[in-house]
Amino acid sequence: MPGKSYKVLFLGRMFLGLVFAYSGFSKLMEPVENFQAAMAAYEVIPYAIVPFLAHVIPWIEFFFGAFLILGYLPRVSALVLAAMSLSFVVLILTTRIVTGVLPANCGCFGEGGLIHLKPLQVFIMDICNTFIGIRLAFLKSHPFSLAAFFREKSPSGT
Amino acid sequence: MKINLRSILTGVLLVLFLSGIVFFIKRNRPVPAPLPPSVTGATTLKIKGPATAPVKLIEYSDFECPSCRNAQTDIQGLFKNYPGKIQLTFKHYPLTSHKWSLYAHQAAECMNRQGKFWPYQEKVYEKQAEWAPSNIPPVEILARYARELGANMDQFGKCMADVTVTHEIYAEKEEGNARQVNATPTFFLGEARFVGPKEMQERGENAIRKVLGLPPKPVPPKKQEPAAPAFPTGIPKQKVT
Repeated sequence: MPGKSYKVLFLGRMFLGLVFAYSGFSKLMEPVENFQAAMAAYEVIPYAIVPFLAHVIPWIEFFFGAFLILGYLPRVSALVLAAMSLSFVVLILTTRIVTGVLPANCGCFGEGGLIHLKPLQVFIMDICNTFIGIRLAFLKSHPFSLAAFFREKSPSGT
Repeated sequence: MKINLRSILTGVLLVLFLSGIVFFIKRNRPVPAPLPPSVTGATTLKIKGPATAPVKLIEYSDFECPSCRNAQTDIQGLFKNYPGKIQLTFKHYPLTSHKWSLYAHQAAECMNRQGKFWPYQEKVYEKQAEWAPSNIPPVEILARYARELGANMDQFGKCMADVTVTHEIYAEKEEGNARQVNATPTFFLGEARFVGPKEMQERGENAIRKVLGLPPKPVPPKKQEPAAPAFPTGIPKQKVT
């Protein structure tokens, strides 16, 4: 692989990892009810599963975001984050079609976080994240990663 | 196999380490002690309902927020359904993302000083679609609402320019921040928190009913089931003659 695209993909990995790790972390620092309300604002999500999702999603984002930054299971982490990005794209699109309106704030980085994006902005970002995640999931080796470190340390080099 | 074990062990350690960070930071966050009401905001508290009411709700709200407007119907419903049982305390929480919100809160606080807070807040919510999309600060519109409610306009005008009132509004917001409020409307029933009208409908009312010693709110049937048995399963139907 040419060095330049390798660097671009490394930056993509850092970007995707940081976005999700920060997103999860900022939600975990807040009372879960705040994220629950942000999710309930997307009226297409059945309310019965909102409390469960509000508890689980921040941890998934935080763990897999951190994993991707460190390069632990980078392909799996990238795939999980790509799937999450894609689900957010579908959620925004469905909400817009079904209800005709979108919440004022996407609720992606916790209500008290430093970043406040409108659903349209996050829609564009999630499309980009989906592509980055899919591309990273198909990348066989990841520079400066724990995966690469383990490979080098293994006796067979595989 | 060796690689797998090392990899799994690393994963477990990472999960433990990351979870530890989250719990450690969350646990060690400074929690400011609650301030006495006299210094936490407006000099006169905005309270609706009897002091003896067993249910004491606190609402952090923003006048420009559509969800807060929607929640007003639910709140009115609570007062109607549980007469004499609910006491509501309003707290200012003007969101920075709403450009005219502070003007509305200042006007409402000025009306509070004239003892007309509740009718004014109703008006501000009701007419949200009129003043919120304004291109210029909606001072004239807010003053008109005050006039319609019979406010002393001299006092109102002076109060609108009074920075101490603004500071009091921000003090209430700060009190909300200390309680980790950052979305509106946020309701507190004791330590229980309900964010948004949906949460209030789904969980809030049942929490109120629990305080009142009532059974949970019956879930309204989604659709009429034609073959619904008149008796529980296992109990034979008796012939009606």
